[in-house]
Amino acid sequence: MRLAAALLGVFLAPPAWADCPLDLGRGTGWVVFSDQYLMAFRPDPLRIEVGEPFALAVSVCTRRGGPAELLAVDANMPEHRHGMNYRAAIVAKGDGRFRAEGLLFHMPGRWEITFDVRAGDDSERLTHDIILK
Amino acid sequence: MIRLLLLLVSLLAAGAVGVRAQHLLDWSPEEIKAVGQHGPWPPPPARDPSNKVSDTAAGIALGEYLFNEPRLSGDGRMSCATCHQAGREWSDGLAKARGAVELDRRTPSLWNIGYLHWFGWDGAGDSLWAQSIRPLLDPREMNGGPTRAGELLRSDAALACGYERAFGNTPGTDDERLLVDTAKALAAFQATLVSPRTPFDDFRDALVAGDRESASRYPLAAQRGLKLFVGEANCSLCHLGPRFTSGEFGDIGIPFFVRPGEVDPGRHGGLVRLAASPFNLLGKYNDDASGNNTRRTRHVQRQHTNFGEFRVPGLRQVGRGGPYMHNGSLATLEDVIRHYSEVSPDRLHSDGIPLVRPLGLTAGQGADLVAFLRSLDAEPVARPSPAPLCP
Ligand code: HEC
Ligand code: HEC
Repeated sequence: MRLAAALLGVFLAPPAWADCPLDLGRGTGWVVFSDQYLMAFRPDPLRIEVGEPFALAVSVCTRRGGPAELLAVDANMPEHRHGMNYRAAIVAKGDGRFRAEGLLFHMPGRWEITFDVRAGDDSERLTHDIILK
Repeated sequence: MIRLLLLLVSLLAAGAVGVRAQHLLDWSPEEIKAVGQHGPWPPPPARDPSNKVSDTAAGIALGEYLFNEPRLSGDGRMSCATCHQAGREWSDGLAKARGAVELDRRTPSLWNIGYLHWFGWDGAGDSLWAQSIRPLLDPREMNGGPTRAGELLRSDAALACGYERAFGNTPGTDDERLLVDTAKALAAFQATLVSPRTPFDDFRDALVAGDRESASRYPLAAQRGLKLFVGEANCSLCHLGPRFTSGEFGDIGIPFFVRPGEVDPGRHGGLVRLAASPFNLLGKYNDDASGNNTRRTRHVQRQHTNFGEFRVPGLRQVGRGGPYMHNGSLATLEDVIRHYSEVSPDRLHSDGIPLVRPLGLTAGQGADLVAFLRSLDAEPVARPSPAPLCP
């Protein structure tokens, strides 16, 4: 079954923060931001399918264009209060780029992806919702 | 005789009128999309990169012989086909499988098994071939011991020849390798077991194509049941896709006591066994050098909630099988629907919005769901007996 991942977040064009490596290539991706951080990510493969493993290519930096780190990625279904049965592993690719490998959504519905990011002593959890049909 | 014929003719006529009088319910674009996701059928042949003889003619041929081979068992009397019977939808019709002793779980059907990623009710196997090793060794099942497969492949001329055709060399002296290769041939054969197209598939294709006339041949009760299945009853949350399973695990409140004081831990125990198995995809017998097929095994995480979870069964040919559930505790499809209608919320271990809740179906709705499930059944094409391995 092919499933389109619906997007609830806001899409931003990156040019305003040219120093931030938000371009994930292929002109695709979702941007999540807070007061402190800017983050972009793209699933691989681009279409997330129920029951199929996928990875996330992630870029993160501070809003001032400084370096930041991705510590962990997880996901859960807030309505049903259960998480994934899989644990993602993070690989740093340098230049604020990371890859989270080994995610799998086992059910259609709303999934909240959480990204734990850090810059220096400051850390924060960013979230993004995806609805799998 | 003539009376009987007349009766038959009038029954057929009544049937024909029934068909003509039927029509199509209103299907919204969202519903059509949801129904469309349960097809198309059949899927392309299953290929397993961890198994070099998967989807090869010689591997499949050898596997079919081995599947029916009682000499693989300790007492020479039991084969895979003893429990997974072609005429019984590749199961045995029993509530609990009977090997050397009665087992704690039901024999699952092997239809469409090649498309799964986790095997066994508890997902203890991460490949079809790894799952096929267990019954060969398990003392409660075939009890073949670790060397029997190797001895048989070396000593039987036809099997040795079939082995050489499939694997490219004569059977060697490494018994563990030959046990794994036996399982890989068995897996190649089992992956060809694809269930036939059904009345549901004809309806699904017609609905998606906008062919109202063909679609209206699908009985109204089945249409109503299908609407419930993808809609209000939310069955397709877990029974999704063309095979009607996510391939993952769930807890629908089937009691998992095996004996007083003893429970079947389900997925929780399966993950322990998976990690301990020398035959899992992280081990040396995985034929896929890319490692792409190891992602599930590498990243799967045992959680407390896995306790009492069992794999979501596919629903094709379900009405021709039964009894139902991992322990065969429900005898009929009607019993299954009654379970979903009346399941006690106390049995469901969920803090949030429960995935399964007592649906409180009317008798009519229950009958409609059963009518829909039965439309996932069709008479399989009889298998020709296999050609000789090495004529
Ligand atoms: C004594 C009856 C019996 C015999 C003999 C037997 N099986 Fe099974 N089979 C079962 C039962 C019971 C299960 C469920 C096991 C579990 O969940 O722990 C099962 C599960 C399976 C599965 C997993 C199905 C699924 O839905 O995930 C496969 C594949 C399988 N058997 C193949 C074989 C092969 C190949 C052989 C011969 C080498 C064989 N079986 C012999 C009873 C049997
Ligand atoms: C939360 C996921 C989930 C939902 C929702 C769900 N099922 Fe199931 N279903 C399962 C699991 C898991 C099993 C096996 C449970 C066991 O063996 O303990 C199962 C078993 C079954 C079986 C028995 C199949 C067999 O071979 O034994 C049928 C039939 C079935 N479900 C139909 C339905 C219908 C109809 C609905 C909607 C009313 C539904 N299911 C909703 C997960 C689900």
